[in-house]
Amino acid sequence: MAKRHLDRIVLVGFAVMAVLLFISTASYPGIAQKTSALYVKFLAASMGILAVVQLGFSIFRDNDTGKLHFTDHMPRFFGLLIALIIFGAVFEYVGFFISAGLFIPVVAVLLGYRNYLVIALTTVSVLAFVYLVFEKLLAVNLPGFSL
Amino acid sequence: MLEHAMVVLQPYSLLTILIGTIAGVAIGGMPGLTATMAVGLLVPFTYTMDPALGLMLLGGIYCGAMYGGSIPAILLNTPGTPAAVATAIEGFPMSQKGKAGLALKVSVVASFVGGFFSVIILLLFAPLLARQALNFGPPETFLLALMGLAGIISIADENSSLIKALIAGLLGMVIAIVGTDDMSGSLRYTMGYIELIDGIDFMPALIGLFSMIQMLELAGMRKKHEIDVSALHKKQRNDPLPKGIFKYIAVGAGTGTVIGVLPGEGATIAAFISYNVSKRISKVKELFGKGNPEGIAAAEAGNNGCVGGSLVPTLTLGIPGNSVAAALMGAFIIHGMIPGPDLFNEYADRTYPFIMSMFIANGVFLIVGLTIAPYLARIALIPPAILVPVVSAFAVLGSYALNNAVFDVFLMIAFAGFGLILKKLGFSLEALILGLILGPIAEGGFSQGMIIGKGSPWIFFESNIAKIMWVLIILLLVPPLYSYWKNTAMVKAPSLDDQD
Repeated sequence: MAKRHLDRIVLVGFAVMAVLLFISTASYPGIAQKTSALYVKFLAASMGILAVVQLGFSIFRDNDTGKLHFTDHMPRFFGLLIALIIFGAVFEYVGFFISAGLFIPVVAVLLGYRNYLVIALTTVSVLAFVYLVFEKLLAVNLPGFSL
Repeated sequence: MLEHAMVVLQPYSLLTILIGTIAGVAIGGMPGLTATMAVGLLVPFTYTMDPALGLMLLGGIYCGAMYGGSIPAILLNTPGTPAAVATAIEGFPMSQKGKAGLALKVSVVASFVGGFFSVIILLLFAPLLARQALNFGPPETFLLALMGLAGIISIADENSSLIKALIAGLLGMVIAIVGTDDMSGSLRYTMGYIELIDGIDFMPALIGLFSMIQMLELAGMRKKHEIDVSALHKKQRNDPLPKGIFKYIAVGAGTGTVIGVLPGEGATIAAFISYNVSKRISKVKELFGKGNPEGIAAAEAGNNGCVGGSLVPTLTLGIPGNSVAAALMGAFIIHGMIPGPDLFNEYADRTYPFIMSMFIANGVFLIVGLTIAPYLARIALIPPAILVPVVSAFAVLGSYALNNAVFDVFLMIAFAGFGLILKKLGFSLEALILGLILGPIAEGGFSQGMIIGKGSPWIFFESNIAKIMWVLIILLLVPPLYSYWKNTAMVKAPSLDDQD
C-alpha cells in the first residue's frame, strides 16, 4: 500500500474518532457536563481540526508515491508478532518458565540464528536469572504451571 | 541530609547502585536498547523491592545507559543509544587513528562531569521548585500540564511534522480519558472491560512503544548491520587528557542540564546542541568530523547532563523532561509517591537517597569506563536474533508483573503494533506518551479549575502564578516554532531554485 494512502486512512480514522468523541460527551452525567465533558470536547475538536488540516496537506501537497516500508522481512516480523501473541495467551496457563523456555529458542531460530548451543545457554541463563532475581530475590509473583 | 547520605552508603544500597549502573552501561552499549527501554522494562519489577533501593537501581541504569552508548560509538562506530551519535562522529575516527584510549577517557570523564554537575543542580533546585508547587491550585496544575505539552512542539523534527506531533500528543490525552471520570464517577469508553476501569496504565504503553517496537523492527531487518571491528584489534595508545578539554566539558554539562530541564527535549538533542556549540567556539573547527576530542567532550557531557536536568521538572512538577524521566516517574507512582512537594517532605527518606545515589552511579561508571570499557564494546556484537527474544520475553513479563494481568500484555502488544504504524507514518511516539502521562493531570486541573471558577475559563488567567506560567508557555513555544518555520522555509527554498 502507498504510504500516503495509509496516512490518509489513519487521518480519516482520527477525524471520525474525534467526531464520535465529541458526540459522546452529550451522555456525560450531571457535573461532568461542565467539567470533563468540556475538556473532552476540547480534545476532540483540536484533534478533529488538526486531522482534517493534515489530511488537506496530504491530499493537496503530498506527491510522494512511495510504498509504506514496514519491514524488510515479513515472515520474521509477523513471526515474532504471532509468537508474542501466543506467548501472551498461554503465559498465564502454562506459566512463565515453560512458555519463555519455548518462546526464546523458537524466536531465535525464526530470526535465522542456528547456533543451538548459544540458544540453549541463553535460554537457560535467562530462565535462571528470572528465577533467582525476580522470583526468589524480588518475590515477583510469576504465573506458574496451572493446567 | 547526612541521614539520607548514610542510606546511600549502606552496603545493600551500594550493591544495588553498582548492579544498576553496570547493567545500565551494558544496556546502553547494546545498539537497539535504550535507557527508556531499560528503565521501562524494569519499573514493574521494582514494585516488590524496597522503594528507595528500587529507585536507586533505576537511577543507576539511567546514568549508566547514558554513558554506555558512547563505548561502541567510539570503538565500533555503532552508537549504543541515539544520544551517542554525535560521539561516534568524532570517536570512531580517533579509534581508527589508534587513539581509542584517549577517546574513551575523554568520553567517560566528560560523562562523569556532566552527570555529576546535573545531579548537583537537581539536588539544589528541585526542593526549591517543589516548594513553589505548594502554591499551585487546580488552574495552575492545568497550566503546568499545558507547559509539559508545549514540549510536543519541540519534538517535531524532520521525521515527524508539527501537526502530526500535536495529533500524537492529543491521541495520548484521548487514550488517557479511558476509565472512570473523576468528576461524576461514571465509566467512560471502557467497552465493558473491567481492566479499563482504572484507565490505561502507561507502563504497558511505554514498554510497547519504546521496547517492543524496537524489537519488531530489529526482527524485520533483512540486512545485518555490518560492524567495523578493526579498531578493537588495533594497538591503541593511552594519551593523557588534552589541555583545555574541560572548557568543552563545561559547555556540554551546562547545555545538557538546561536542555534536560525543558519538557520534551531529550539527551540526543542535548548532545547535538552541545556538540554544535563546541564546534562554534573551537579554535580547531576544521578537525571536527575527523576525530576531535573536543566534540566527544561536549556531546558526552551534554547527554549525561540531561540526566539530572530531566529529573528537575519530573520530581517537582510531575512533568517528565524526556521519555526516560517519564519511565522513572512511573516508578515513583507505582511506589505511591506522586511527584511534587510531597517527594521532598513526606517521602524525603526515599527521594534524597535516590538523588544522592546518582553521584555514586556517576562514580561507578567512571571507574568502569577507565578500566574495562574496551571489553564492554563487545556487547554490541551480540546478534539481534538472541537479543530480540530475550528482550521480548522481558517486555511480556514486565507488562504482566505490574498488575498480574494478561490484559496488560495484550495492551503492550497492541501499543507496539499500532505505534509502529504511527511511527512509520511520521507520528511522534514521544508526543503520544507525553500526552498519555500529562492527560490525567491536565483533565484534573481543568475540571477542578472550572468548578472553582464557576464555569468561567478566566480562572486560568487570574492568579499571578498563572500569568507567569502563560508567559513561560509562550516562551517555550516560540523558539521551536520559529526554528520549525525557519527549517521548513529552508527546505522549500532549494526546491524553488531547482524549478528555476
